[in-house]
Order: sequence, then C-alpha cells, then structure tokens
Amino acid sequence: MSKHTYRSHYLRTGLVLKPAQHQEIERLLTKLHGQILAYFILLTDITGQVVTSRGNQEDMDLVALGSLVAGDLAASHEIARLTHQYQADQLVFREGTTVNTFTCEVGFHLALLVQASTDTPLGWARVLIRRAAKELAEITSKRVEEPTDISTSGRSEVALPQEEDWSNLFDDALDDLWLE
Amino acid sequence: MYINWQLEELNLKIVYYGPALSGKTTNLEYIYTRVNPKRRGELISLKTYEDRTLYFDFLQLELGKVGGLTPKIHLYTVPGQTYYEASRKLVLRGADGIVFVADSAPEQLSANLKSWQDMKSHLAQFNMSFNNLPVIVQFNKRDLPNAIWIPSLQEFLEVNDSTSFEAIANQGYGVFDTFKAIVNRVVNRVQQEVV
Repeated sequence: MSKHTYRSHYLRTGLVLKPAQHQEIERLLTKLHGQILAYFILLTDITGQVVTSRGNQEDMDLVALGSLVAGDLAASHEIARLTHQYQADQLVFREGTTVNTFTCEVGFHLALLVQASTDTPLGWARVLIRRAAKELAEITSKRVEEPTDISTSGRSEVALPQEEDWSNLFDDALDDLWLE
Repeated sequence: MYINWQLEELNLKIVYYGPALSGKTTNLEYIYTRVNPKRRGELISLKTYEDRTLYFDFLQLELGKVGGLTPKIHLYTVPGQTYYEASRKLVLRGADGIVFVADSAPEQLSANLKSWQDMKSHLAQFNMSFNNLPVIVQFNKRDLPNAIWIPSLQEFLEVNDSTSFEAIANQGYGVFDTFKAIVNRVVNRVQQEVV
C-alpha cells in the first residue's frame, strides 16, 4: 500500500470486543500504568469511543476527551500524509514542563493516550508504550472463540436481537431520549 | 461501530455533513437542548473566533438498554467552510452513517452540489462505497420564502422521499425525524454486518 493512500479501516472500524479480549486489555493497561507510573491512560477506538482508562480521572469528561484524542491523532496522520511522511503506527509526542503526553495508534482500531511525568525517561516510556500498543493490537485483531458462558457479563450468548425486535426496541429507546 | 460485549455497549458514529451555514451545528444544538440531560454528554465545539466550526462539534447520546446493550451514539459535525476540506474528510473517519444537511436557499444550490460531490469523493478516498453507507438528506431552512421546491432538490441530489426530510432546524422542525431515520438505518446496517 502506498503511503499516500488510506487504509480502508479509516472509514469504518467495525470493532467487536469479546469479554475475553476486554479483560486482556484491562490487564495490559493495568500493567502499563504500573510500569510507566502514568498519571493517566485512555484507550479509545479511532472514532473516539472510549474503551477503558487508568489513573487520575477526577473531573475529567472522558467522552469529550475521547473525541478529541481521535481528532488529534487523525489530524496528525493527515499532516504526515500531506507532507509525504505517513507511516503506520506513528506515535505523537507532546512535551510538557511536568507532564509528557504520548498519543499512539494501536493497530487498525484503537488509539492510546498516555500522560506521564517528565521524570519518566522518554526512551523508557516510548518503549513501553509501543510494546503495549503492539500487544493491544494483537489482542483486538485475533479471533476469539465465542464463549458459551460469559459469567462476567451476565450474558449467555454474544448475539444481537432478531432484526424486527431490534428496530422496534431502538425506536422506543429513541423516543424515550426526547423530552416532551 | 464498536461493540464491547463485556461492557454491553454498542457505539455508533453519525456525521452531519453539508455546506457552510446549512445548519449542521444547529441540528446538534437543538438535539442537545431537547434530550434528557441524563442521557447526553457535553456539547464539544472546536470553533474559530468568529464562532464558526473549526474542526468538529461533538455530542454523545446514551440510549436505554436495547436487547441487552447500551447504545451510545456519537454525533459529529464537519466544518462547512471551503478551506477546511482536509478537516472535513477526517471527521468522516469511522462514520457509520451520514446526515447531509442541504440548504434550501436557491443561491446555495451549487454549494449543496459541491459539498455532496466532495463527500462522495472523500468516501471514495477511504475506499468506501457511497451506496454502502446509510445516508439521510435533510433539506433545511424550509421556512425561507424562496426555498427551492423539494422535488427539484431531490432530483438534483438524486435522493427520494425515504431518504430525505424537510427541516427548519433552528425551530427544531424535522431535527428529531432526521436523527431517528439515520439511527434506524445505521442499526439495521449493524444488524446485517454483525449477524
């Protein structure tokens, strides 16, 4: 693929996380949080939808933050592409006086934001973040056999309702959303 | 689209696209004021000093449980001004559905067409077929005394009654109908893709 073209996943993510994958992601981010002594970690999909987070989240609007992280990463990609410097798996680094911010592409589907103290050696932080991104990408890309019993989520199966029910249920939920 | 079975969440992204000042942000602002505050996040706007959209507006809505999943709908607008084309394209990234907000003013006819064609071009650059994506067209500003006749607009953009809605977004007319229509189309599409 040319560096001037887009990956097709840029338009639609179509990410479906099974419970086992989500649990692996949680475990991995807990490990990264401890290793890097991060202030804050946010994992979103490439459209900004929050997957999970770690660290200090007091007074943080994670939903808004997710949309901005995705927009920020998308803009960085486009700058790289327009200057003919686009490469896959790029990491955006924002240097601060006390806190450094890293934003990293995670495979086809996700974006990872990590904020760590400037006391954390840059090289160390970059290695750990890149390694985590690679492992996260592997988790989301691998096929997981559907479990027959998802005890942690309380669901007996991983399936959407039948088509007619699904539309009707959505109609009712949308009507409930609107204030009279 | 992103489904997390562990958290029982279904996340969808819908983009409001269209020419400058056609009423994209007005749609989101009206939705923001009319939905249950417990079911929505903050309305995020990245604007210029002149109060025009610089990058995007963003609003998340959370529906009640549907079939065991909590749907979260992310609404985005694109910047309409011509020179923000690069940003406009980026906002389309990951979209599950598009609302094209067209301006009914006769003098905006060519701007509508250009925006419509640009949108198709951007989708093509993402290797995405326009025909495979749920799209609803909203003919906004129907209260203008010289608003273009609807069949003419439909013919111009090659859309029909089932995929287009009239609206006066600043009064709220047609806003919810448009929103509901695009969500319905998107969820039907999700059902087909996931099953």
